[in-house]
Amino acid sequence: MESGDGGTRCRHEVVSVIRLLHVTKSFNTGKSNQFTAVQDVSLEIESGRVTVLKGPSGSGKTTLLTLIGCMARPTSGRIMLRAIGSSALPGMEEADEVEITSLPERFLTGIRRTAFGFIFQHFNLVRGITVLENVMLPAYPTGEGRGAVHGRALKLLEIFNISRHAHSRVDLLSGGEIQRVAIARALINNPSVIIADEPTAHLDTKLSGEFMEIIGNFKAEGKTILIASHDPLVHDSALVDMVVEMRDGRIIQDGSGR
Amino acid sequence: MNSSFERHRNIVDFALSSLLRRKAKNLSLLAVYTLIVFVIASIIFFIHALKREAMLVLQNAPDMVVQRLAAGRNDPIPLGYQEKIAAIRGVSGVEPRLWGYYFDAAVGANYTLMASDKQQLEPESVIIGSGVARTRRLAEGDMMAFRAYNGEPTLFQVQSILPYASELVAADLIILSNRDFHALFNFPKGVATDFAVSVRNPRELTTIAAKIVRQFPDTRPILKREILRTYDSIFDWRGGMMIVVVAMAVLSFIIFAWDKATGLSAEERKEIGTLKSIGWETTDVLFLKFWEGSAISLSAFLCGVILAYCHVFFFSASLFEHALKGWAVLYPQFKLTPAVDPYQLAVLFFLTVIPYTVTTIVPSWRAATVEPDAAMRS
Repeated sequence: MESGDGGTRCRHEVVSVIRLLHVTKSFNTGKSNQFTAVQDVSLEIESGRVTVLKGPSGSGKTTLLTLIGCMARPTSGRIMLRAIGSSALPGMEEADEVEITSLPERFLTGIRRTAFGFIFQHFNLVRGITVLENVMLPAYPTGEGRGAVHGRALKLLEIFNISRHAHSRVDLLSGGEIQRVAIARALINNPSVIIADEPTAHLDTKLSGEFMEIIGNFKAEGKTILIASHDPLVHDSALVDMVVEMRDGRIIQDGSGR
Repeated sequence: MNSSFERHRNIVDFALSSLLRRKAKNLSLLAVYTLIVFVIASIIFFIHALKREAMLVLQNAPDMVVQRLAAGRNDPIPLGYQEKIAAIRGVSGVEPRLWGYYFDAAVGANYTLMASDKQQLEPESVIIGSGVARTRRLAEGDMMAFRAYNGEPTLFQVQSILPYASELVAADLIILSNRDFHALFNFPKGVATDFAVSVRNPRELTTIAAKIVRQFPDTRPILKREILRTYDSIFDWRGGMMIVVVAMAVLSFIIFAWDKATGLSAEERKEIGTLKSIGWETTDVLFLKFWEGSAISLSAFLCGVILAYCHVFFFSASLFEHALKGWAVLYPQFKLTPAVDPYQLAVLFFLTVIPYTVTTIVPSWRAATVEPDAAMRS
């Protein structure tokens, strides 16, 4: 099912930043235990909007996020990205659309590094090192000066009110603080798209509310946000522009134009 | 600043932070690794320095020693040969030597007895090596008892003790007069143990040796370079034996390192997945693991080599003394002059640092080439 149509695009004066065309992802292909996590999904995600993938466990939300986030390749179908930033791919114009399905791994890495900011379900911070180092990690391979990255990381920690923990080990932080570190890390390379997988799964109502406030700020800054969640606090939020409901790897309902 | 340099600097920084967060594991690994480098480097340093020392000492050895053989065994050489050998063109001197061995049943040690009239020794007096003095607890002026050829006890007075500097070659040496030597062993007159032959041109040694054998078919000339080669082989053999023993420890370490390196923990795999998912390339991850491996192996190499250097040259290899010097009642006590062979050090480097670094990179490479979506699923 295709979510966006010409009318939607015209009405919001936005362009699709991510387009999926008949995307299928199967695991253990050709073996007796083959299963298809995402089946024939077509979807358009609009720039500067908050899109939520909603559905029960095993519905294919996370797999779809990994495909969009260039972490895995689809078994079939095409994924197109637009306006992901000229630094992601050499020789690419800002507004160009690029099909990522067949790109070599190093280009996908470049896109992951510059275009996307990931907030994982378990946050996936590196234990044993400091908050500051965790936030700076995605910028290390960019070759950017350490001083500049350091300054930006401190600024982000300040924005999320955790600068006092900058030199503490992440293992010592509370759940809410860990989440804010994960968000700061996702923003260090100033990505245009934020991808969050079940971001409120381990948070109480208050912290979930705080998270949605942060998402509101991102939206106000013009960032594209893609969240996989089955938490009503997320998909029922007024900030959300489109809810895509999934079940058994397929889109069963597309709530675009809400 | 160059962005590639910055990238590597950042990765090195993170590699060091990474090592520090697994302090106990990495410190124990470093300790085992250092110990192995220390043992091997100690052997290498010791053998090399000993060989060098021995070579320097043997530089003063005669160009050629001529022995007489009877039924394939050493036999005293008639002094009558001396003049004829001296007359061979190219020979600059022939000196008869009187020497032998004496077993001291009291302490179970073997001494080398050498007769010399150059020392102008009083009758029934001896000059002894410091090893002998130590073993028999003798000082200058003390009496030392020998059992003569006929079983009669004979007393000798210690006239002096050879200086400590000569310990390496003279620890077991006892010098006595020619007359006393003949009397003690009932050594026949008109013969010597062997001849020390010196030549004018060392290149002619082989020719002169051939002439001696042609003239006296019952003699065996031994060239200095043959002696040097024999010593070389002995030291190499001793070092080799020690290295075989150490090889067991090295093998255990390799198994341990291999196990550690090939079995990336679930946490390490997850970390690699996380790094890839946030934009690290496979090469970045490999550089990270390379620097981690290098930090451990280089530190172990440097610590091991420095400790081995101190152990061998400041503490006379006290830990492996018995294995390296061989068994003896009379151990020479000496300090080696520091001498390191850069080639052997380079070999040690390539045998210890490189294999470890490779064993840490390979499994990480396998983990780093998988798609990073594992991080999303953990």
